Amino acid sequence: MTTAVAPPTTRTETRSRAHEIWRIVRLHSINPSVFFGIPAIILAGAWAVVMVIGLIAQGAGATPADLENMRYSWAVISPQWYLVVVGVQAVGLTFSFALGFGATRRDFWLGTAVMFVLVSVLFAAVIATLVQIEIATGGWGLGVHMFDALWYGQTNWFVDFYTAFALEMLVLFIGAAVTTIYMRWRIPGMLIITAAFTAVLLGGIAWATLTSSWAAIFEWFGALGLVGGFSLVLAIAVLCGVGGYIVIRRATPR
Amino acid sequence: MTDTAVQASGLTKRYGAFTAVDGVDFTIEPNRIYGLLGRNGAGKTTIMQMLTGQLFPDDGTLQVFGREPAEHADVLRKLCFIAESQRYPDMFTAADVFAAAPWFHENWDEAFATRLIADFRLPAKRRIKKLSRGQLSAVGVIVGLASRAPLTFFDEPYLGLDAVARHIFYDRLLEDYAENPRTIVLSTHLIDEVANLLEHVILIDQGRIILDRDAEEVRGSASTVAGPTAAIEAFVADRPVIGRQTLGGLASVTIDGRLDPADRQRAAELGLELAPVSLQQLIIHLTGDDLAASSEGEEAA
Repeated sequence: MTTAVAPPTTRTETRSRAHEIWRIVRLHSINPSVFFGIPAIILAGAWAVVMVIGLIAQGAGATPADLENMRYSWAVISPQWYLVVVGVQAVGLTFSFALGFGATRRDFWLGTAVMFVLVSVLFAAVIATLVQIEIATGGWGLGVHMFDALWYGQTNWFVDFYTAFALEMLVLFIGAAVTTIYMRWRIPGMLIITAAFTAVLLGGIAWATLTSSWAAIFEWFGALGLVGGFSLVLAIAVLCGVGGYIVIRRATPR
Repeated sequence: MTDTAVQASGLTKRYGAFTAVDGVDFTIEPNRIYGLLGRNGAGKTTIMQMLTGQLFPDDGTLQVFGREPAEHADVLRKLCFIAESQRYPDMFTAADVFAAAPWFHENWDEAFATRLIADFRLPAKRRIKKLSRGQLSAVGVIVGLASRAPLTFFDEPYLGLDAVARHIFYDRLLEDYAENPRTIVLSTHLIDEVANLLEHVILIDQGRIILDRDAEEVRGSASTVAGPTAAIEAFVADRPVIGRQTLGGLASVTIDGRLDPADRQRAAELGLELAPVSLQQLIIHLTGDDLAASSEGEEAA
């Protein structure tokens, strides 16, 4: 029956919020291609290109040492650009829909954050494992570098997992957090945030240049090391997550 | 069961200098069908978006099932509102919408939804963005009906629907409402289509409520008298006139208020014709630009 009209009490939630948050995760994954399928296709496509290049190089008589330069290929991070868009659409479109279905902004953001963490964990595990496979198979038998590239493959599985996780989190949360600003303040908000960000960036460059601090700054980044640097990346992602939560609480759908 | 579903007072929404909803007061009683009527841009959708917690009011108080709706999950789960301009996630199909619906609407009736999909001949596997306007309206109508939410909003449900589909909506709504009473708010500018469904009418114009009455009362509340201008003027002398058309020596005047038998007899003696005013005609009279001044007297209490 649907006639239950609640008495006007001030009761707070009686059920677990887990259900409210989990349904947002389900909503994001109702179409698995968005978060899983398309990134997998992009990665597989990049891998296919790398393999073909490897075959061509082999045909031309290149040695594995010659192929060392492939370490500088960005193929391994090719899905990242798409995932920024996923982060944008998660808020731009799914947020409006979830509100229409009676979700609270709070539950929507928490559910979205859970989804981002799950996706990042999965992707990081896949990348870190593929790095190990690529090393073990000698670059898929061709000496190519796709996953064992850039900063990956330098130490162990756990470091690769951690750095990939931090990067995934950053791209998803940046896209989503910037979109919350649009959902709350529309174009004026976007202009102000862009202007403010540019001003801070220019101010920082001016400060570093005028005080001749560039060497010290690079040294500081260098001292952070791989794990430290990616901890900074993860910290920015978390900051976007917290900022997005604050902003979205008063955001309105289009 | 006498608790009000919605209690709004001084409810206001501004967009910069433009006031979309201007200090409106109204209540919505449970288990009735309300019509939220008005012209395009009158403020209907804005009011519904505030009622469902999608927009934050700038002023006034609003209680839905005893609480402010925004960010209160226990209130929001009793509501269903698919806006006419509802956005859907990219790649979503109508089937995806119906798959997600039971997670958010605990009274969701799967069998009813399946029947409605067939009734409306909705291509459920097609992407939402590929649907026609009428098919998009059907998605909203199906969610609204099958969710059986205690407070259900239909935002322009007739938009783009063909005659058969409109009839199906009308029938299914009444059938299901009889079995599962709930509070329904229909917003539309296609008034004649829904006139017979409504139990209560709230008429909005330029962000203000200009009529808030029982539908039965509204239907008999105005009459049109037609005949020679001089006789008309004599008849309507001290009555509230809400509309006037003249053609040569003939006039047709709409007056607010019921006519008693003595009035009818007098009209007959003067050779005047009396005609009832449909809800739509009345609303045109009340919201037409040339009658803006006379609508002041209609201000709801």
